[in-house]
Amino acid sequence: MASIAVTKPAAVDSQELLTRVQTDRSCRQTVLIYYTSAVFWLLLGSVLAILASLKMHIPGFLAEWEWLTFGRVRPAHLTSMIYGWAVMAAIGTLLWLQARMGRVRLPLPLLLPVSGIVWNVGVAYGMIAILIGYSTSTEWLEFPVPVLGFFGFCLVLVIYASLVMMMRRKVHHTYVSQWYIYGGVLWFPFLYVSALILTQAPHVNGTVRAIANWWFAHNVLGLWLTPIGLASAYYFIPKVTGRPVHSYHLSLLGFWTLALFYNWAGTHHLVGGPIPAWVITVGIVGSMMMFIPVTTVAINHHMTMLGQFGHLKTSPTLRFVVFGAMSYTLVSFHGSLAALRSFSEVAHFTHHTIAHSHLGVYCFFTMMMFGAMYYIFPRILRREWSSAPLIKVHFWTTAIGSIIYVVGLGWAGLVQGWMMNNPDIAFMDVVKYTIPWLESRSVAGTLMSIGHVVFAILVWRMLRGDGAEQQGPTLFTTARSLRAQRERKARARERAKGVA
Amino acid sequence: MLVVYVVIWSSAVLLGLSAVWGLVWAIRTGQFHGLREGAESIFDDGEPVGTPTDFFPGAARSAASASGTKAGAMEEKWRR
Ligand code: HEM
Repeated sequence: MASIAVTKPAAVDSQELLTRVQTDRSCRQTVLIYYTSAVFWLLLGSVLAILASLKMHIPGFLAEWEWLTFGRVRPAHLTSMIYGWAVMAAIGTLLWLQARMGRVRLPLPLLLPVSGIVWNVGVAYGMIAILIGYSTSTEWLEFPVPVLGFFGFCLVLVIYASLVMMMRRKVHHTYVSQWYIYGGVLWFPFLYVSALILTQAPHVNGTVRAIANWWFAHNVLGLWLTPIGLASAYYFIPKVTGRPVHSYHLSLLGFWTLALFYNWAGTHHLVGGPIPAWVITVGIVGSMMMFIPVTTVAINHHMTMLGQFGHLKTSPTLRFVVFGAMSYTLVSFHGSLAALRSFSEVAHFTHHTIAHSHLGVYCFFTMMMFGAMYYIFPRILRREWSSAPLIKVHFWTTAIGSIIYVVGLGWAGLVQGWMMNNPDIAFMDVVKYTIPWLESRSVAGTLMSIGHVVFAILVWRMLRGDGAEQQGPTLFTTARSLRAQRERKARARERAKGVA
Repeated sequence: MLVVYVVIWSSAVLLGLSAVWGLVWAIRTGQFHGLREGAESIFDDGEPVGTPTDFFPGAARSAASASGTKAGAMEEKWRR
């Protein structure tokens, strides 16, 4: 505590300020490890993404090494982005959010940072296994089974920490973001373990395995990434604008309906597949029911922002978070419609699906996590970001890049589907039609990756301590803390002079 | 095969029970009462309703003073 100057200005209840500073401080090591590792996997995942993308229109590119063939680079991209980037960013965010909302310190100050390292070892082990040819070849679960041991260890600690924070919390009311986090934290380990058993056990094979596989893959998005993304939106939009959620009871209704319906939706991935029709129908009905939670979230985010759009100019967090929230509405409505048989007849098994998945994991989740990181890094390190222009470059490259990606492939996928449904069109003509659009994805991916590199530079400079220390009401600079800082600097100068 | 059945059914039952337990707990402890205060539970006296809390680096001080909020007023006072 000694290093952080906290004063007692008349207007502010110092105890609350103190608690906030202490909870933020207690998250420092853990969140830093999860966040910086996430950024590392994001960079690696981007390289693999560009490779995979290039190979779709230059098939011979780097094909002479088997570890760089499409069949390995693609799952390596997926797992690096999901288990490396998305999950690590999510864990860092949810731990900080829980400490913040419960006004408690993060427990397990030693074990949680260790869990971050263990998680990295797990991802690294899995990635190497995939690249040298030991993938399980079950999409989303390509990591070899022993990786479960690494992940299990960490998840047990995260669940434990969450429960402890829930018990110790100083705020009686359970805020809507906390509901989402508790849900996500308790659902994900259950999903992961049961899916692994159901897809890897020798008894389960054929179409049954496919059903378990897509039940899992869809639920990772809906019952893990979505809750953490929405928890962030429900915290950051009100917090940044200073305006409470527009309709709080709608937000709770949204949570409970998501909890009820999402789990049923997974089998819409198998529309047209050789499984019993009723299984698919259940998935379609579940997808339609999702209109309820999605509408509540859409109304709430939009109405909370109404009249507040001016803040988008001044807040980096809000830019990313609002971009993410709007994408959530889009991707969810689109997903519900895409589950219909008539729509799937055209769009299924085309690039349209890939556009949809990146609208979700990129435009919604990844952008949301960028927003969260822009808010959290300065508070756990008590430092400003070093450069406003770089933040803007990051925002515009990723925003424009992802829009090109999603709109381009979304459209091309539809045309591809119509062409494939027409028996008079030769298959090669369909392939040729898609090539310019695949090239546009490589351009988009390059733009997005430039954004990721810029972000990594910002994070690097943040860790090095380039940004101004504790400034602005963001960090609640007070007269005394500023004076203390000036004095510290003066002393340092004095010392430097003394040495010279 | 037995193992698979046990896994599926026991986890389904456990998960279902935990959701019901969560809902009952929430109703019993009054989580659905006082929703207005609930929505404001993420604010406190230091960062009250009406105070924006995030700015581009460098822009912070001027934006806060301009917003006329408590934080802004504090900054203002300090500068004088
Ligand atoms: C640098 C930007 C990115 C580019 C250029 C890119 C490119 C690609 C490519 C080429 C594929 C394979 C598509 C196919 O097989 O037809 C793919 C799949 C995938 N990517 Fe990305 N990606 C990017 C960012 C991300 C991020 C940040 C995430 C996650 C947070 C992600 C998650 C996925 C997933 C889940 C799939 C599998 C999609 C499915 O099977 O439906 N990607 N990506």
